Amino acid sequence: MIVKHVKIILMKFNWKIGGEAGFGIMTSGLEIAKVATRSGYHTFDYSEYPSLIRGGHNTYEVVISNDSVSAPKWEIDMLVCLNKDTFELHKDRLHLGSVILYDPEDFQPDSTSILIPIPFKAFKKECNIDQKMVNSIALGASLALLGGELKVFETIIRDEFGKKGEAIVKENVELAKKGYDYILKEHCPLKQILQKKKGERQMVVTGNDAFSLGVIGADCRYYAAYPMTPSSSVLGTLAALQYQTGMVVRHPEDEISVVNSAIGAAFAGARAAVGTSGGGFALMNEALSYAGVAEIGFVLFLAMRSGPATGMPTWTEQGDLLFATFAGHGEFPKIVLAPGDPEEMITLTLKAFDLADIYQTPVILLSDKFLSESHTSLPEDRVLKLLKTHKIDRGKIVAKTKQGSEYLRYKNEPDGISEQLIPGQEGIFYQANSYEHLEDSHTTESGVERIKQVNKRDKKRQTYLKKHFAEPTFYGDPKADTVFISWGSNKGPILEAMKILAEKFKRGFGYVHFTHLYPLDEEKIKDFMNVKYNHRRILIENNSHAQFGSLLRMQTGIDIKEKWLKYDGRPWWPEEIVQRLTNKS
Amino acid sequence: MTFDAYAPTWCPGCGDWGIRIGIKTALEQAGYNPSSVLLSFDIGCSGNMNDFLNGYALHTLHGRAIPTLVGAKMVQHKTKAIVVGGDGGIYGEGGNHFVHACRGNHDMTVIVHDNMVYGLTTGQVAPTAKKGYKSKSTPRGIIENPINPLALAIISGATFVAQGFAGDVRQLVEIMKQAMNHKGFSLVNVLQPCVTFNKVNTYAYYMTKTYKLDVKYDPSDRKKALTKAMEPFEEKFPLGVLYNVKAQTYHEQWPQIEKNMLIENKRFASFSDITKKFV
Repeated sequence: MIVKHVKIILMKFNWKIGGEAGFGIMTSGLEIAKVATRSGYHTFDYSEYPSLIRGGHNTYEVVISNDSVSAPKWEIDMLVCLNKDTFELHKDRLHLGSVILYDPEDFQPDSTSILIPIPFKAFKKECNIDQKMVNSIALGASLALLGGELKVFETIIRDEFGKKGEAIVKENVELAKKGYDYILKEHCPLKQILQKKKGERQMVVTGNDAFSLGVIGADCRYYAAYPMTPSSSVLGTLAALQYQTGMVVRHPEDEISVVNSAIGAAFAGARAAVGTSGGGFALMNEALSYAGVAEIGFVLFLAMRSGPATGMPTWTEQGDLLFATFAGHGEFPKIVLAPGDPEEMITLTLKAFDLADIYQTPVILLSDKFLSESHTSLPEDRVLKLLKTHKIDRGKIVAKTKQGSEYLRYKNEPDGISEQLIPGQEGIFYQANSYEHLEDSHTTESGVERIKQVNKRDKKRQTYLKKHFAEPTFYGDPKADTVFISWGSNKGPILEAMKILAEKFKRGFGYVHFTHLYPLDEEKIKDFMNVKYNHRRILIENNSHAQFGSLLRMQTGIDIKEKWLKYDGRPWWPEEIVQRLTNKS
Repeated sequence: MTFDAYAPTWCPGCGDWGIRIGIKTALEQAGYNPSSVLLSFDIGCSGNMNDFLNGYALHTLHGRAIPTLVGAKMVQHKTKAIVVGGDGGIYGEGGNHFVHACRGNHDMTVIVHDNMVYGLTTGQVAPTAKKGYKSKSTPRGIIENPINPLALAIISGATFVAQGFAGDVRQLVEIMKQAMNHKGFSLVNVLQPCVTFNKVNTYAYYMTKTYKLDVKYDPSDRKKALTKAMEPFEEKFPLGVLYNVKAQTYHEQWPQIEKNMLIENKRFASFSDITKKFV
């Protein structure tokens, strides 16, 4: 697929708030994002926080744009400092036109940017509120400065806290009004960034939210997980929704129990999924192998973070691609998919469940902290269309078989896929056997039968490549002389970088975005890469081993020589890509 | 269609033979057939029953027979669910799952072949072996004290805890029938000689060390059951139902599957009720 038009940036405004963990930074950030989307704008947000409940430094930044936006922005246009650290740690990202909100009682910024002093501490004392509520004052002040409407803020607070009672809603709104009025009285609105305009009804979703929506849309009946950042919010989201959706959402004793219970659920006939990060995934490896030989399909959501071991739990990395690809002992078919943004996450999650059923084998869906926890605005209608039009394909999974009592669970078929009977039909029985087995599922150690079953399982791989493997997508100018090659969450920053580059160099750039990472079809990829894009190729990854580069070379023989690798726990910034290209061009 | 599958390959005289007859007879007498049960086999000589006992079965990984069946049971909770495993798989490798399945009072019968050795890997010590037991992996004797499965199950929340002896199949059938009839987590720990590798805990050993619980014994008293469950520490092995109480099962506490089995429910399609929460 080729997507030709990479749009030119119209407006990107970066609002950022910082403070200690426990200050309610995350809630406030999401609130400003929703004010923006409900005022007709698009947003992308990014947060950083340490693996702590209290203390440390938390930040949340929201890029507000009048066009869709898919990455953070390096320059900060408005910085809300709930403490001095926020200024000190981020002052290198400010420019002359940046606006700094701060409390003079706390500190005086040494800066040539626009200073907006606000007496947060005095307000806190006067209103007798806790630190979290100070955020509402800061949000009100931000709205006033950006030309936003308090009424919009109120709708968000009402949706969020309405259940807790009118008093809480009122208090939040009144505090926001205090900040708002203070700006109007002491300063004046600076920019018409949030001026209300018409726009589509938009959702504000993270990659994890998008996965959750896909799981619901795919009619998954059983989801199990053991909490592990950055996958944990899926468990919380699906658990909260389960009495509505009817899904069973469990938090078992460990990841081993998580994955084996999902295999049991899938054996019993339900679509099943699990979610985890690297460490939990390591514990699930043996069970992946069981699902491989017993031919039980389920979806495994792997949200990567900086490893190895406990690593940097709340920071991002694409360090588990090869691990995921090769996970599980022995040889068995496996499919690895990696969406690049929330919309792709929904589409690929829906597809992943179909593939798990059709090929009766585990499907791994890769995410990372950056994708899993960054919110993007997405038109609600588009999401609903994806969910409503999705037709579920369970492949050869049946509730009744016509094979009768001679039913062969692992029957040798030309496409490698046998009929999978949901347990329950009278007069029939079979095993989901972890041992090598005969067609009728009984254990075997016969060499002849072994070869038959290995070949049968391998055929599923070939069938997949023929029927369901999707080539990468090309974004940008097909005649571009510089083409980026990447996968997963790097998509957003690369596309944003291309907008900047197109303006800067007045020529087009290209991006080859891979989503179906394993297995790869050698011929299709060679055709795709060789014919069209035989120019400067740059591999961009968020790891230190160029893992996709290795995988691409291993599966297709294509070797990308120029590799840009980042592994400091932070995502690629669009401006970083621009700068690197400018320096090397 | 019967429960009989391949002829077992166990050693002549192995306790597994008696346990299999016990399970099969109990299932038949309770009116089950291979299409009406979910079986989950662990790995080991015990788990090899997968090819000797027909049913809709999972032959799982070592240690994982319980959690795998927990998942299947959530989807088809009206189907009878039985785990067959050994002391190594259930109390060693899968010990964590065992404790948590007891806690949840998951509705399943867990039948454990307790022969105090790892037979299939040629006789290494099992977690139920007495302190000092010498084996290939512990040439000077095991340092750890044995797991006490009965006490562990009772304090962890199991609602039916029994012990049988592979040498007394008649009693075993009765215990298993009761266990399968029980709603909630039921454990049947079966003392079983390994004629090939365990030269200590033999049939003769159990003939002298086991005794049947008195007919007047009241299994509904948790403290008394615990006292009984402590006796194996003094090499006294009570046989019969030590503990049996009524309590809500795990699946009964999920409104999603109050009426139908999870697999029978209709597909959820009110997507806008969900998407609006993210606006």
